[in-house]
Amino acid sequence: MELNDANLQTLTEFLRKTLDPDPTVRRPAEKFLESVEGNQNYPLLLLTLLEKSQDTVIRVCAAVTFKNYIKRNWRIVEDEPNKISDPDRTAVKANIVNLMLSSPEQIQKQLSDAISIIGREDFPQKWPDLLTEMVARFRSGDFHIINGVLRTAHSLFKRYRHEFKSNELWSEIKLVLDTFALPLTELFKATIELCQTHATDVNALKVLFSSLTLIAKLFYSLNFQDLPEFFEDNMETWMTNFHGLLTLDNKLLQTDDEEEAGLLELLKSQICDNAALYAQKYDEEFQPYLPRFVTAIWNLLVSTGQEVKYDLLVSNAIQFLASVCERPHYKHLFEDQNTLTSICEKVIVPNMEFRSADEEAFEDNSEEYIRRDLEGSDIDTRRRAACDLVRGLCKFFEGPVTAIFSGYVNSMLSEYAKNPRENWKHKDAAIYLVTSLASKAQTQKHGITQANELVNLTEFFVNHILPDLKSPNVNEFPVLKADAIKYVMIFRSQLPKEQLLQAVPLLITHLQAESTVEHTYAAHALERLFTMRGPNNATLITAAEMAPFTEQLLNNLFKALAFPGSAENEYIMKAIMRSFSLLQESIVPYIPTLIGQLTHKLLQVSKNPSKPHFNHYLFESLCLSVRITCKANPTTVSSFEEALFPVFTEILQNDVQEFLPYVFQVMSLLLEIHSNSIPASYMALFPHLLQPVLWERTGNIPPLVRLLQAYLEKGGETIARSAADKIPGLLGVFQKLIASKANDHQGFYLLNSIIEHMPPESLTQYRKQIFILLFQRLQSSKTTKFIKSFLVFVNLYCVKYGAIALQEIFDSIQPKMFGMVLEKIVIPEVQKVSGPVEKKICAVGITKVLTECPAMMDTEYTKLWTPLLQALIGLFELPEDDSIPDDEHFIDIEDTPGYQTAFSQLAFAGKKEHDPIGDAVGNPKILLAQSLHKLSTACPGRVPSMLSTSLNAEALQFLQGYLQAATVQLV
Amino acid sequence: MSAGTDNGARLNQFKNKGKDADELRRRRAEVNVELRRAKKDDHILKRRNVHSLLDEPTSPLQEKDPNPPHHWTVEEIVGGVNSENLDYKLQATQAARRLLSREKQPPIDSIIAAGLIPTFVSFLALSECPPIQFEAAWALTNIASGTSDQTSAVIDGGAIPAFISLVTSPHQHISEQAIWALGNIAGDGPSSRDLVISHGGVHSLLALLSAPDLSVFPPTYLRNITWTISNLCRNKNPPPPLEAVLQLLPALVRLLHHDDKEVLTDTCWAVSYLTDHTNERIEVVVQAGLVPRLVQLLACGELSIVTPALRSLGNIVTGTDEQTQCVLNAGALALFPSLLRHPKPNIQKEAAWTVSNITAGKDNQIQEVINAGLIPILVEILQQGDYKTQREAVWAVTNYTSGGTVDQVAYLVHCNVLEPLLNLLITKDSKIVLVILDAIYNILQMARKTGELEKLCLMIEELGGLDKIEALQSHDNEAVYKSSLNIIDTFFSDENDVEESVVPEAGGDCYAFHIPEEQSTFKF
Repeated sequence: MELNDANLQTLTEFLRKTLDPDPTVRRPAEKFLESVEGNQNYPLLLLTLLEKSQDTVIRVCAAVTFKNYIKRNWRIVEDEPNKISDPDRTAVKANIVNLMLSSPEQIQKQLSDAISIIGREDFPQKWPDLLTEMVARFRSGDFHIINGVLRTAHSLFKRYRHEFKSNELWSEIKLVLDTFALPLTELFKATIELCQTHATDVNALKVLFSSLTLIAKLFYSLNFQDLPEFFEDNMETWMTNFHGLLTLDNKLLQTDDEEEAGLLELLKSQICDNAALYAQKYDEEFQPYLPRFVTAIWNLLVSTGQEVKYDLLVSNAIQFLASVCERPHYKHLFEDQNTLTSICEKVIVPNMEFRSADEEAFEDNSEEYIRRDLEGSDIDTRRRAACDLVRGLCKFFEGPVTAIFSGYVNSMLSEYAKNPRENWKHKDAAIYLVTSLASKAQTQKHGITQANELVNLTEFFVNHILPDLKSPNVNEFPVLKADAIKYVMIFRSQLPKEQLLQAVPLLITHLQAESTVEHTYAAHALERLFTMRGPNNATLITAAEMAPFTEQLLNNLFKALAFPGSAENEYIMKAIMRSFSLLQESIVPYIPTLIGQLTHKLLQVSKNPSKPHFNHYLFESLCLSVRITCKANPTTVSSFEEALFPVFTEILQNDVQEFLPYVFQVMSLLLEIHSNSIPASYMALFPHLLQPVLWERTGNIPPLVRLLQAYLEKGGETIARSAADKIPGLLGVFQKLIASKANDHQGFYLLNSIIEHMPPESLTQYRKQIFILLFQRLQSSKTTKFIKSFLVFVNLYCVKYGAIALQEIFDSIQPKMFGMVLEKIVIPEVQKVSGPVEKKICAVGITKVLTECPAMMDTEYTKLWTPLLQALIGLFELPEDDSIPDDEHFIDIEDTPGYQTAFSQLAFAGKKEHDPIGDAVGNPKILLAQSLHKLSTACPGRVPSMLSTSLNAEALQFLQGYLQAATVQLV
Repeated sequence: MSAGTDNGARLNQFKNKGKDADELRRRRAEVNVELRRAKKDDHILKRRNVHSLLDEPTSPLQEKDPNPPHHWTVEEIVGGVNSENLDYKLQATQAARRLLSREKQPPIDSIIAAGLIPTFVSFLALSECPPIQFEAAWALTNIASGTSDQTSAVIDGGAIPAFISLVTSPHQHISEQAIWALGNIAGDGPSSRDLVISHGGVHSLLALLSAPDLSVFPPTYLRNITWTISNLCRNKNPPPPLEAVLQLLPALVRLLHHDDKEVLTDTCWAVSYLTDHTNERIEVVVQAGLVPRLVQLLACGELSIVTPALRSLGNIVTGTDEQTQCVLNAGALALFPSLLRHPKPNIQKEAAWTVSNITAGKDNQIQEVINAGLIPILVEILQQGDYKTQREAVWAVTNYTSGGTVDQVAYLVHCNVLEPLLNLLITKDSKIVLVILDAIYNILQMARKTGELEKLCLMIEELGGLDKIEALQSHDNEAVYKSSLNIIDTFFSDENDVEESVVPEAGGDCYAFHIPEEQSTFKF
């Protein structure tokens, strides 16, 4: 592409089309641009357009396109072609700084981003003159240009804040400091002087204050990794000026906007960060300045308003004080009673008050409110910062601080009592103080676990919380109601059980409140109460105690789901699940209604699954319904199938990917309840479960394997009889799974079920192939996980088909194969098999090989007989060998293999452990003794002689123990 | 280390590096580039011989000269040294020396530019006129005390062999000046150092020290020798030749038992340089048997000695478990309670760094740290120490948790390490945050083994640690983000989210079950 007018024209047209709202116009234009971006001069054409086009829209569009192009293509990836020609690269770097600085702000921002992307790759080695070019602009005196440079520098340097120390990084920082630190300092001083000269010119001040903010940010980045010599030498200049700026106010810069932080606030927040950085990391050097900053920041807090725009500033400022007041050598700055009192009064209390912004969130943005208030995602909020400051102060001054706040709580409660309608926010603040300050330690699982002496929690509950919960109108003062519910929830471990029981029916009533926050809190509180443990590890609140409220609880929970905004409320769904689990058989009478409501919900959410937690608890609740009901009466399983299969079918047909693993688990649960037969409805589905598209999704593999195992267990015969043509497909799944190092154990689960449950004759034609595949995998990658599963399978095969069959099939694949497998795999590796069922299978299998396989007695395999016996005794007696070769550390082992499918994503769809040998063999050691006895009577003299020649003494001793226990003798 | 066990393997997997004790040990120079001002307590590299303004008693000529010294220009000096008159040469040399000894801005570069160095070097050989030897040596000493280029100019002028011959001068003050000059040259860097060594510098200095009684030397003389030797031991990349080190070590051992404070200081610095290398080099020093004496000196209370002695021991414990044990056997840990609480933050930091390398060792070494009562002190440092010391204490704790036994880790938790450790998660230092996360992971892993996981998770949540770890999931540093995520996933979440990876689609109703045609012989 040449740099000519025709190309510029074409590009302009296509750029314009990429802005078209109609996708049929926009998409092809985007495709076209992508198709030509590999051409030489493409970036230069864009740069030309963004500089010279007559149309501002096109200029901005070209700038954005350019930045995205740089983002996608600038990095040179090893082994991939260089996507931008070297002349283009050079030309871009030669022009971009100038262009950026001479462009209007909208374009400047894009180019500044592009520079930092390029800088990340090329700076400093491949772009040595960038910094000097930038620094030269400081002298331009034009603050539009200067801010462009500062912004670019900021995007280049901000990574110093989070990258690890390395020679490369520090060399770069050193280089930056050498060229940049002094000019930056000069610029800082000059800018501050200009602020004084232009103190009355609001437009000039705005530009200058943006520069100062950027300079303060650069200071942070450059000082982050360590204290540079230059800044140590110039600390006086920087800190004195920072301090001055913190205390500065200029009416002209105050904004009317309540939400957006203004320039003054942004600058001061950054200065608080800078001071906090120095106070933490460079304490020794910063000490002389610190008290001044404490005073300035403290004054700042006292004089800053409640508006949202100050939030960041206030929370940064409080965090600074919080981090300083914990340090022993600064304790004296805070210990004066008056200081403490005014910190509590003027800094902490005002920042805990319920503001109008909170009220708006409570009403209109309840999800966000809950997340902040309940889940603690309030890291940067004022309330959180204020709590941190209280905790910090309590380190040295717990007594006085508690006393001050107790006084506050009382005075606010009495204000409320005077006029509840007007003063309800005072009570909110009082409860907030109690809930946040009384807690010394808090966890999600148990609520508050340690409280301080601020108030008597039980008395407070009785006098101030219970009345709100009992008030007949649940929709009055919803904020106070939510506070009261939260109080119960977080102090649940501290309150006596009687009071909790008193609260339960009240909480159930509040499920009907219209306020989303309120009924969500009620659901959450109930859910938490139901998980509390009492003595004997049982639930604290029992199903019997809940009996009077069961119906209302279930009703109200489902009614709450009908509120607008709570249709997919995960707290309510979790409370439903927890109620089922607590109430157990008491829910059976309600199941017909409940299952209808749950399946209806499932149908709705399956159209567009968007709340993963809600959906998860929904499926858990379904599983609980099934388990609880069918435990008492297994025949009811068919009514669940009737209710659920239509929805499941729809989910399967529409391929709702998020739900498939759940559906497979619920189906497994249902099928496993059937006594040994498989309904036709399942068989109809069988071919579909073998479709590769399902198995390509890793999330499906564990639940699908489990489901197929259930099919085999209940319907092995049926499959052989009526779906024999699907057996190759089933084995194809097995083949697919064992090819993967991550999923091979799943393949073995399937294969083990096939061997265990399919009629032998249905497999005859495939058996040899199965073994050949396993041997191929063994040959190509012999991982520990594979070997463990392989050993279990081989022995299960031996148990099922007999030792002779095993030996014959091995040797039919390749002469002497049986001996090789015993020698190279079984004997050396069997020690690694883990799990009681798995070990038992191996023990019984090996016993059969030792005692029921003539080839072991009369051929060259005989030499393996004693080593195999020794390995078996080792399996019984030695600790498990859990070593893994070094080169396997990086294999993605998501599951340690067991005979069982370990996947239990739905806790309430869990599967019992299955033992294919079961009671047939009680004690494998006794079985070994008896089998050896039988063998020795068949060929007298042979066994004792084999034992005496090469079995080691310790093993022999163990063996004698088994023989004695079985009361048999070898002859 | 738990590597090899299942948990260890998982740990290694996650960290993507099979950390073993050697990697946990951190040598001093992680980063060669420094942003900070060069260390204040570091040893002086080069020294200029600056006499007092009035007079210098070491100069015998001075007494003969009744006239107040007049200032010569460089041109006059050039004229003077090239005159035929020896006395005039001497006066010119002396004038040059005076210029170079002036407190402020000695005109080193103009002297070099005037080409005077070769002339002065030639004067070093004039044994018939000791005063001119002395003045030339002094002038050259001060030129060599300058920048690297200035030192190189002296070397290029052939000064090294000349000075080495002067070491054996019968005039002690000349010998002393020559030794001083050699010290300045050797201090310039590895290549200059090795030039002094290859010209036989070590041998001539050791010959002096072979005297049966070191107290025959005037204190300043012995100090100069020691300082020059320390510069011969100094610098890395490469370290001084092994052969030279082996020759110097017996002398260092001897000097280490001398009673002069400055001699001891410089000797300790020499040892600290020699130990700041690979384990092989550390071994040589340990074999020389000076560890017990270093530990003795650590208790001497003299900051200038304690600093390099602590560095030396700190360096030694970066070595193998056996080398570390040698330091422990000498009873070093008994001194650490006071070192970790030393009024100088730098001593605290070095001490904590040393402890961190000891806790990177075997569990019996960790036990010695416990027995010395250091754990509560480490916790104290984590709570309220200087940041640089806190950093090292964090490493000490993390190393401890990777190598400690279950009981030892339990003890650590009982000493309330969690609270300050978790509080430091807000540190503005990604590396330290990551190291803390490793410690937390290790502790939780250990708790899982003993069935106390739930209790520990509760503690961490109660201490506000869970909030902090959760907040780190949005950290800009990828390793920090991954590590915090991993802790949350492994220990703090009761619901596993489905992990779905995108896999290529495949068509058809079912998989074909078949074996490939080609089939080779199996061999396992």
